[in-house]
Amino acid sequence: MELRNFVFRRLIQVVVIFFIIQTALFLLFRLAPGDPVERMVDPTMTPEDADRLVAVLGLDKPLWTQYGIYLKNFFQGEFGTSFYYGQPVVDIIRDKLPNTILLFTSSVILSALVGIALGKIAAWRKGTRTDTWLTIGSLVTHTVFLPWLALLLIWIFAYRLGWFPITGMISEDVWLDPDAGLWTKALDIGHHMVLPLATLFLIHFGSSLLVMRSSMLDTLKEDYILTARAKGLTDKEVRNRHAARNAALPVVTGIGLSLAFSINGGALTETVFTWPGIGRELVFAVSHSDYPLAQAAFLLIAIVVLVANVIVDVLYAYLDPRIRY
Amino acid sequence: MESVERFDTSGMKRSHWLAHFLEGWSVFIQNPLGKAGVGLLILFGLMAAGSVIPPWIDPMYQPMTGVDPEIASSVGPSATHWLGTDFMGRDILSQLLAGARIAFMVGVSAAFMTVVLGTAIGMTAGYMGKAVDTLLMRLADIIMVMPTLLFVLMLAALFGQLNIWTIVLIIGLFRWPGVSRVIRSQTLSLKQRPFIEAARVAGASHLRIIFRHIMPNVLPLSFLYMTFRVTSAITIEAALAFLGFGDPGTVSWGMMLQWVWKTGHMFQAPYWLLPPGICISLITLSFYMLGRAMDEVLDPRLRKEEDAS
Amino acid sequence: MNDRTAGEDKRAPQTEELLQVEGLTVGYRTKRGFMRAVDGISFSLRKGRSLGLVGESGCGKTTVGMTLMGLLPPNGEIRSGRILFKGADLVQKTEEEMRRVRWREIAMIFQAAMNALNPVQRVEKQIAEAILTHAPELSEEEALRQVEGLFQMVNLPHDRMHDYPHQYSGGMKQRAIIAMALACNPDLIIADEPTTALDVIVQHQILEETKALQRDLDISIIFISHDISIVADVSHDIGVMYAGQLVEYGSREEVFGDPRHYYTRALLASYPTLAGEKKDLVPIPGETPSLVNPPSGCRFCDRCDAAAETCSLERPDWMEVSPTHRVLCARCLSP
Repeated sequence: MELRNFVFRRLIQVVVIFFIIQTALFLLFRLAPGDPVERMVDPTMTPEDADRLVAVLGLDKPLWTQYGIYLKNFFQGEFGTSFYYGQPVVDIIRDKLPNTILLFTSSVILSALVGIALGKIAAWRKGTRTDTWLTIGSLVTHTVFLPWLALLLIWIFAYRLGWFPITGMISEDVWLDPDAGLWTKALDIGHHMVLPLATLFLIHFGSSLLVMRSSMLDTLKEDYILTARAKGLTDKEVRNRHAARNAALPVVTGIGLSLAFSINGGALTETVFTWPGIGRELVFAVSHSDYPLAQAAFLLIAIVVLVANVIVDVLYAYLDPRIRY
Repeated sequence: MESVERFDTSGMKRSHWLAHFLEGWSVFIQNPLGKAGVGLLILFGLMAAGSVIPPWIDPMYQPMTGVDPEIASSVGPSATHWLGTDFMGRDILSQLLAGARIAFMVGVSAAFMTVVLGTAIGMTAGYMGKAVDTLLMRLADIIMVMPTLLFVLMLAALFGQLNIWTIVLIIGLFRWPGVSRVIRSQTLSLKQRPFIEAARVAGASHLRIIFRHIMPNVLPLSFLYMTFRVTSAITIEAALAFLGFGDPGTVSWGMMLQWVWKTGHMFQAPYWLLPPGICISLITLSFYMLGRAMDEVLDPRLRKEEDAS
Repeated sequence: MNDRTAGEDKRAPQTEELLQVEGLTVGYRTKRGFMRAVDGISFSLRKGRSLGLVGESGCGKTTVGMTLMGLLPPNGEIRSGRILFKGADLVQKTEEEMRRVRWREIAMIFQAAMNALNPVQRVEKQIAEAILTHAPELSEEEALRQVEGLFQMVNLPHDRMHDYPHQYSGGMKQRAIIAMALACNPDLIIADEPTTALDVIVQHQILEETKALQRDLDISIIFISHDISIVADVSHDIGVMYAGQLVEYGSREEVFGDPRHYYTRALLASYPTLAGEKKDLVPIPGETPSLVNPPSGCRFCDRCDAAAETCSLERPDWMEVSPTHRVLCARCLSP
């Protein structure tokens, strides 16, 4: 089926792009001022461990060989050892990745769905107060400074009202309790996730709303809407079955285009809320000059963005048969 | 965005151009977004301009180095310090005003660079076509996929502390793909126009055609996109400063937030927490509104439709 | 079958006529004022007969179609007149009542070139939707079975039912639209420029098929077009419209064979024919008058060859050429 070919082609593209990014990172790393060896090797390591690491990473070899080793290491998951944690980087990444994906995916989906629903209403009630408020609301929330919004939410809802925890993803006592079931643990995560999710949601739903709104207004002018009305459908049926379905497509495209932007926001949110995800690790690693971890975190984030792009493209192709057939 | 016809000023007389401009201005100024945007920006402009006043009045109002001999910690608003002081006893209002100056500087310079780069690349890609075009657009795709903020973080890791101009440079280098796409499609449609053909027949070199004929027609579009780029430039710089990677010698609003956060005052000092955040958000909002209003001017289809005929 | 101006009708009971339009005036509220797209037109249609409304763009023919369906845009307004459909006045109906009338009793065929079909829905689903809207008690399988029958009626291969609109050719799309219009067995179909943008051969096919369908199913059709030759081919009666008014009305033989109004004559002269003597094409000079402030006299007079002083001052009256053929002009009686 066409769809399979499409997915295949996109994946190849993604792989190519990723290699380019990886190479760029490699060169940057080697060309930056300072000694590459020093950067990858923790000064507190013993000389034997240091030598072993140098050998594994190939830091003493010529550039081309290094590149080869670099790629090989990547596929084997060998990223070196984190200075700060003293553990292999790959383990750290593996722990944190699901947390980022959880937060990121939920926020993208939630903002999209709500943005679409509200944008539909705003378009239908164009010119009324509802529409004006929704539009203004979207503009304002879209431009609020994310870290500041996060701080505000923490201040009001966690500190002042005490409804939510101030930081973190889990409560120690819940997770250390041997009797705690899966449901309790899930609820605990959910409880911690409310504020970070709210932050990301507030920042991002506005653009989906505005895109949906203008897309609906355009779609409602189309001829097949007239056909639908002529067939005797109620206004509501016309709106939902014909207009909204078509109008939602540009929103999907819009989400795809702003994925990089969303991930920036994700990293900031994770940092402020101390949500143990990859974004936060990257920031943390950079501030502690933990190069192995920083590099790996960045590459992984790049992968996440690229894969997300593919998913969005595939979703669009699925929704719009004109692409598929 | 098919907007070529509006921009073909190549044949227009001066008077025509002026009439065009005035018509655009009237649409712009009627738009509530445009009015609000301009209003806010004037306010911020005044703030930036006024940033020199407090230190001039008294050195204790120096945003970075000023210390109030009587206060060495964060206290709330008072007669001498209208917005209170930060943890070192420095005046918050002066910092706020200085931050406005930085915001404009960063925003406008980065945006300007982005637009210059984006326009140049977009025009080249559109005009040269084929291999050059594909190469440039692929490059644009790759850059667009990357999260700018995080890449700058990586650079900070490798190159150490970044100063404000380096940050501006990097932001400029990363945000051009969006602009170049639009300029490219504009160039593509312009390329087909007869006046380009005529110029080529008359023996004009490629460079001359690009600068003399294409550029004037794409510039309005460039400026439109510049307003959107300003918002992202300001936001990125603020985020960097917030995370602690800004230029330690400059007082930006993001830096102020970093201080209030890292020194643990965020719960106790609303007079310190709120103003910088409000400012960043509002200046972003105002540039964004400006951009939307300008968009309406440039694309008549977006203007409010009265009863259809 | 013919109708005089409103108020003077003393003939047989209205149930003989499927549709009777009396003194209909419809317009649009615009910035520049109220634009009368349709100004006081009257005509009628019997069951099983077809009427062709022909005129240049902007003459109001599409507005007539839209008004019959009750699909005027928000700034559209019926100023006066009655539309008696099966005895009931459509103008008086509420939106809810009109919705029941739509498609079930009056259906519409749009131009294939238009985006009349929803691009992201399968064709069979869209047609089934029409069926299910008016017969909700049916199951989806039953509706699809009916769609199969419809496809057969319009000569569409039923293995294409499951496709999306963009996979169809122009002719196929037109047939699908026709099939959709027939879905609920309407009494009246309004066909708005259904063959424009199709190539000539396909056009001819569709017209033939339409005529056949009309005969077999005994459906009344109002055929709207700017092309008088098509309309003459397909309809029993022809109404020529200009600037919002009907200017000539009669059976196709009468109007085509013995055109009286100068506009009708000009229309016929401006179309090339393959048969007959080779004549120069004669475009009609001038422009249509403003519909916001229409002239008080004859609207065609500045473009009319035979205009006289009085033409622009007095409202022209209907003149009977024959009991079935009338013309809106004071000076058009002589051939």
